[in-house]
Amino acid sequence: MADERKAAHGPMNAQRFAALADAYGSALHRWPRAEQAAATLFAESEEGRAILATARRLDVILDRHHVEAPSRTLHGEIVARATTQLSQGRRRRFWWLGFGLAGVGLAGALAGLALVTVVTPDAASDHYVMDANATSFGDAGPDADTEDL
Amino acid sequence: MGPDPDEELVRRIGAGDQAAVQAMVARKLPRLLSLATRMLGDSAEAEDVAQETFVRIWRHASSWRHGHARFDTWVHRVALNLCYDRLRRRREWVTDELPEAADEAPLPDAGDEGRRVSQALQRIAPRQREAIVLVYYQEMSNIEAAGAMQVSVDALESLLARGRRSLQAMLIGDGDD
Repeated sequence: MADERKAAHGPMNAQRFAALADAYGSALHRWPRAEQAAATLFAESEEGRAILATARRLDVILDRHHVEAPSRTLHGEIVARATTQLSQGRRRRFWWLGFGLAGVGLAGALAGLALVTVVTPDAASDHYVMDANATSFGDAGPDADTEDL
Repeated sequence: MGPDPDEELVRRIGAGDQAAVQAMVARKLPRLLSLATRMLGDSAEAEDVAQETFVRIWRHASSWRHGHARFDTWVHRVALNLCYDRLRRRREWVTDELPEAADEAPLPDAGDEGRRVSQALQRIAPRQREAIVLVYYQEMSNIEAAGAMQVSVDALESLLARGRRSLQAMLIGDGDD
């Protein structure tokens, strides 16, 4: 993308140099990487030096804004919260893993049951054929006689 | 885009490495605090934003994957969103245009140049401030800053130039260039 931009803008000229200084200030290391080499060369010209001097006036003032380093208290609070949050996250992941495995097990059992139901021929008729107490008139087992009495 | 310098640290945090947590806080907290302080102009609110950003870092560390953006860019986007939430709560006008009420009159010389800069930053449009904070103070490349702001590089340059012109008018005055 940077190379495309360089090609689009063509060689460095005063107009482009001024536009870059307007946007990025006087420090060339903040300028688009693809244009730094050409800008460095142009910066040596009288026009380039004048443009950078103008941009530098604002930079000098902007550089006077400092932010205090974070306090030890803030650092400590953030680290303490991380300890709690990361262990909670691990526990949560462990439970989800447990639920996941249980789910997979249950799904496997259901799939197995379904497979057995579909593949296995109807076992009920075989059972009666194999049963020595069964006759063509029905169940002739000992209980049948008892019921008649 | 080269390898992400934070990726290994994030992976270790996801695995629960306490030393990595310490290293991440040492590496990112000063940057996040600077970003939020300059965006909000309030150090207490900036500390809250920094804390909330880290909460999100810990939450996403185990699932974070190197994609289109570097981790630092993602962290900046999270912190900026939190800043915008607070700016919205203040009913600040979130747009790249200067708010109606803002004026570019030179700020009085109160003797504290840093304070004047802070005031001037708060008087420019938030999107211009965001662009200047990312590129000038956070030293992000134009591509990274445009990525964090989700705008084109040309749009970023426009925001930067307009922001700097306003700051120049407030801090130096017109007709000096």
